[in-house]
Amino acid sequence: MKLLLAGLIQLLLAHHALSEHTSNWAVLVSTSRFWFNYRHLANVLSLYRTVKRLGIPDSQIIMMLPDDMACNPRNIFPGTVYNNADRGLDLYGDNIEVDYRGYEVTVENFIRLMTDRVSEDMPRSKRLLTDDRSNILVYMTGHGGNEFLKFQDAEEISAFDLADAFEQMWEKKRYHEMLFMIDTCQANTMYSKFYSPNILATGSSEIDQSSYSHHADNDVGVAVIDRYTYYNLEFLETHVRDASSKVTMGELFDSYDPQKIHSHPGIRYDLFPGGEQEARKRLIMDFFGNVQSVEAEGAGRVNATEWEEDLRAIERMVEEAKRRHNATLAAAPQHASVIEEVKVMEGKRHVATEGAVRVDAAEGWSKQVVGFASLLGCAAIWVVGSWLEAR
Amino acid sequence: MAETDGATASVEPLSTPSTDATSVSATAKPPPETQESIWLRRSVIVSFWLVVVLLGLPVWWKTTAIYRAELPLETMGAWAESKVCQPAFPLKVAVEAPIPAQDAQHLLRDTQHSLDELNDFSAHRLSLLLADAPFVANASQQIVTDGIAVDVSHDEDIALSVRLVPVETGHTPRSLLQPYSPRLDVYYGPSQLPTAASTGSPLATYIAEELHKLFGEEQALLAHLLSKTPGPRAPVAKRLSSGIIAELEHRSTRALKYAPTYHLTFSLFTPINIPSDWDIESALQRYMSPFLDSLTGIHNFTIDTQVQLYSGYTPTVRPEFDEQSKSWTLRKEDLSGFINAAEWPLTPSIGAGPTVNFVLYVPDRSQSPLVVKETGGNSWLVPQWGGVVILNPTEADEAAPAIMTREALAPAMHTFSTQLMSLLGLPQSPGCLPLRISTLVRVRAASLLFSASSTLGALARLYNALPSIPIPDKVAKSVDLTTEHLQLACDSLKEGRFHSALEHARVAEAEAEKAFFERSMVGQVYFPDEHKVAVYLPLLGPVAVPLIMAALKELQTTIRNFKARRSS
Repeated sequence: MKLLLAGLIQLLLAHHALSEHTSNWAVLVSTSRFWFNYRHLANVLSLYRTVKRLGIPDSQIIMMLPDDMACNPRNIFPGTVYNNADRGLDLYGDNIEVDYRGYEVTVENFIRLMTDRVSEDMPRSKRLLTDDRSNILVYMTGHGGNEFLKFQDAEEISAFDLADAFEQMWEKKRYHEMLFMIDTCQANTMYSKFYSPNILATGSSEIDQSSYSHHADNDVGVAVIDRYTYYNLEFLETHVRDASSKVTMGELFDSYDPQKIHSHPGIRYDLFPGGEQEARKRLIMDFFGNVQSVEAEGAGRVNATEWEEDLRAIERMVEEAKRRHNATLAAAPQHASVIEEVKVMEGKRHVATEGAVRVDAAEGWSKQVVGFASLLGCAAIWVVGSWLEAR
Repeated sequence: MAETDGATASVEPLSTPSTDATSVSATAKPPPETQESIWLRRSVIVSFWLVVVLLGLPVWWKTTAIYRAELPLETMGAWAESKVCQPAFPLKVAVEAPIPAQDAQHLLRDTQHSLDELNDFSAHRLSLLLADAPFVANASQQIVTDGIAVDVSHDEDIALSVRLVPVETGHTPRSLLQPYSPRLDVYYGPSQLPTAASTGSPLATYIAEELHKLFGEEQALLAHLLSKTPGPRAPVAKRLSSGIIAELEHRSTRALKYAPTYHLTFSLFTPINIPSDWDIESALQRYMSPFLDSLTGIHNFTIDTQVQLYSGYTPTVRPEFDEQSKSWTLRKEDLSGFINAAEWPLTPSIGAGPTVNFVLYVPDRSQSPLVVKETGGNSWLVPQWGGVVILNPTEADEAAPAIMTREALAPAMHTFSTQLMSLLGLPQSPGCLPLRISTLVRVRAASLLFSASSTLGALARLYNALPSIPIPDKVAKSVDLTTEHLQLACDSLKEGRFHSALEHARVAEAEAEKAFFERSMVGQVYFPDEHKVAVYLPLLGPVAVPLIMAALKELQTTIRNFKARRSS
C-alpha cells in the first residue's frame, strides 16, 4: 500500500513537471471589415499591444486584420488607430506586424493556420508553430450570432468548425493549454461545442444577448472599442503591470461586471484539467505573457587553453570520422535506402505537378467523364423521345 | 398530364365562367382517353423517374461525396500503441585483448555474465565481441571468432571498444576513457586475468561495472523515453527514482524538438554605438564549427549573425548597483523579461528549421559589469529558445573597442557551445564526446520513432472522428511510406545499426508529418441542416413536386381501376 502511494506521488510529481509550458503564442483575429467596424480592429490592436507589452514576441503573435483602419480615407487621424476617445495611445504605432491582412482573413485561412495545413511556401512568421509545450491565446472579435461568427460579411465560421479545428490541434499535440476569448454578440455559444481538453474559454455575452461597444469618439466618428474588451484591457493595464505579475485568471474573471459590460460574460471551465479550481489558479501571464523559465548559469571560469585543445581534438575527430565515412562510401557507394529515397522523390514530384489544382477538383477527370456521360444520357433520352413522338 | 386525366373526371376547366359552372361541366365532358395515350403518359412519367433515379441521384451522390482514401487504420493504431515495435538497443562493445584467443573468450564470457547481472533494463543490452587487437594483428584484417566477424576500424555500429593493456605498475585494474574516440583503456595486472578453471575474476567484474556506469545515463534516458509511450512496456521498464525522472523531465523541457536542420542566429546587442562590429565569422569558424561538424550525422545547421546598435534590454528591467562587488546586478526573475521581444529583431524567420537564438549583450560602460545577482554569472539559458551571454568590457581596454576580436568573443562562444549542447539534448556523461553523440543518435532515433507513431495514431483517430474532411491518395501513400520506414527503423534498432535507424526514423517522421498536415485535408465548413434544406429546396422543389404528384396520381388511378375491375 505504501509502495503504491509512493508510486502515485511519484506519478503526480512527474505530471507536475510535465505541466510546464515553454512558449506562448497569441492568435488575434478581427473578422469584420469596413469603417463602421473600427472598434473590432481597435479591440485586436489593443490586445496585440498588451501581449507584446507582456513579452510575447512578434514572431509568436499571429494577427489577422481584415481592413486597414489607419489608412481608411474616412480616418480623420491618418495612420493611427485609437481605442479611446482621449486618443492617448496610438495603437498602430510604428512597430506592428499584421500577419494576415484584408482578403487573406478567411475562415479557410484561419482553420489552416490553426491546423497548420498550409502550403510549403508559407513564411514561418505566418504559421502557428506550436507544440505540446505551448500555451495559446486565441482572441476573436467581430459580428456573430448563435453558434457562428461572420468573417468579412462573406462567410461564417461555426462553433463546430472551431471545435473540430481545436480537436485536430489537440490530437497533433499543438498546444499545452489554450485560452479562448471571444467578443461578439451571443459569444458564449461559440465555445459551447468545444470538446478538446485543456481549453479555458470565455466570451462576452450569452445566447440572445448582444455585445455592445463602449463609447464612440466624436472626432473619429465611430465607436472605438467594445465593452467586454475594454474591461478586460482595463484590468490587464491596472493589475498586470509587468512580466513578473502573479495575478490569476480567477481574478480577471471576478472582475467581469455584467452591469458595466451590459451583457453576461461566460466562462467555460469543464474542459480544463482540474476544472474551475485549477483554471482559476492559472496566471494571467501563462496566456498573455511570455514567462520563460530561465536557467541562470554560474560564473565558471573558462580554461581557455584547455578548451582550445578540446576543440582541436574535436576537429581531428571529425576529420577522422569523415575520412572513415568516405572510405566506407567508396567501398559501398550506394546504400539501399538511398536508392529508395530517390524513387520516393520522383513519386512526389509527379504528384506535385497536379498540386496546383484545387481540392474539389482533385478527381477532375472522373468528374468530367461523369458530367459528359450525363449530358450524353440526356441527349440520348431526348433523341429517343422525339423519335418515339415522330413515330 | 394530370389535368388531362379523364378517368377521374372531376377537373374543371379554369377558364369556365363561374356563373355557369354546372351546365358547362355537364356538357363539356372530355372524351375517354385512348389506351395509347394512357400508355404514353405512363411511359413519360416512368422515363422521368428513371432519369431522376438512375442519373440524377448517382450524379448528386458522386459530386457531393467527399473523397476519402483508404488508410490502414488498424496498422496505424497498432503503431501508435507501440504494439508493432518493441524497440531494443543492443550495443556492440568490442574488446581488444593482447592475450590468446581462448583466454580472451573466457574473459569475455565472464564479463558478459556479470554485465547481464548488473543490467536491469532488458531493452538496452551491451554485448561484448572480441576484436583483433591492432598490436597483435593487422588492423584491416577481419578476424573470425565463433562465427562472428568484427572489423573494429570500419564498423560504425561498434558503440565502444575496450582495450586491455597489461601494466606492471600502478593501481590495477584501472581505466581511462578517451575523450575524443570511443575507446576505454583498461589497465590490468597479469595476475588479474581469469584462469580457465576459475569462474568470475576481478578484472571481468571491474570491466562490467565500468561499462555499466558508462551507459548509465543513456539507459536512464531511454527508459524514460520508453516509459512515456503507450502500450505494453512491462518487459522494457526500468525503475527510475523520482529524482532522476524529475531531472530528465527538466532536461526534456529544455531541449529543442528534433529537427533535421536548425538555424542558429547569433546576435550582438548593445545599448550604445560600440562595439559596432565583431569578428564573428572567424570566431564561429574557430570555436563553433568543430562542434557543429561533429554533429553532422544528426543535425544540419545554418547560421546567420546580426549586430544591433542602440538596442537596450526591456526598459522595465532595472539592474541594481551592488556596492560590495562593485557591479550591477540583475535579479533572477528579471532575466525572463530581459530580452526585449518588442524591439529586438529576433527570429527573422529565415532558414528552413527552427531558430536557436544566441544573444550577446554588451552593456554600456556606465552599467558594467552587469551580472546575475543570485549566481554572479553572466549567462543564462532559455529552454527551447537559446542562450544569453552578457559580455562585460574588460578593464584592460579603456578605449572601448569598436570591433570585438575573436579572442574577446572566446568566452561567450564557449558558453554558447555548452548552451547549444544542452539545447540539443546531448547527454552530460560520460566524458567522451563520440559516446555522447552516439547516445544522442539512439535517443533521437527512438524519440522520432515514437513521435511518428503517435502522429499516425492521431491521423487514424481524426479519420474516424471527422468524416467531413477529405483524405487524398497522397495521404495514404505517405502513411504507407511512414509505416514502411518505421518498420525499417525498428529493425535497424534491433540489429544495432543506429545510424540507419535514425535515418529511417527521420524519413518516417517527415512522411507522417506530411500526411497529417496535408494541405487539402481541411474539412468543409460545417453547414447546419436548415442551411442544407434552404439550399436544396428552391432548387429541387419545383422539379420534385410535379414529379411526385404525377406519380401519385397515376398510382391512385391504377389502384382505383384495379379495384373497379376486381369488383365488377
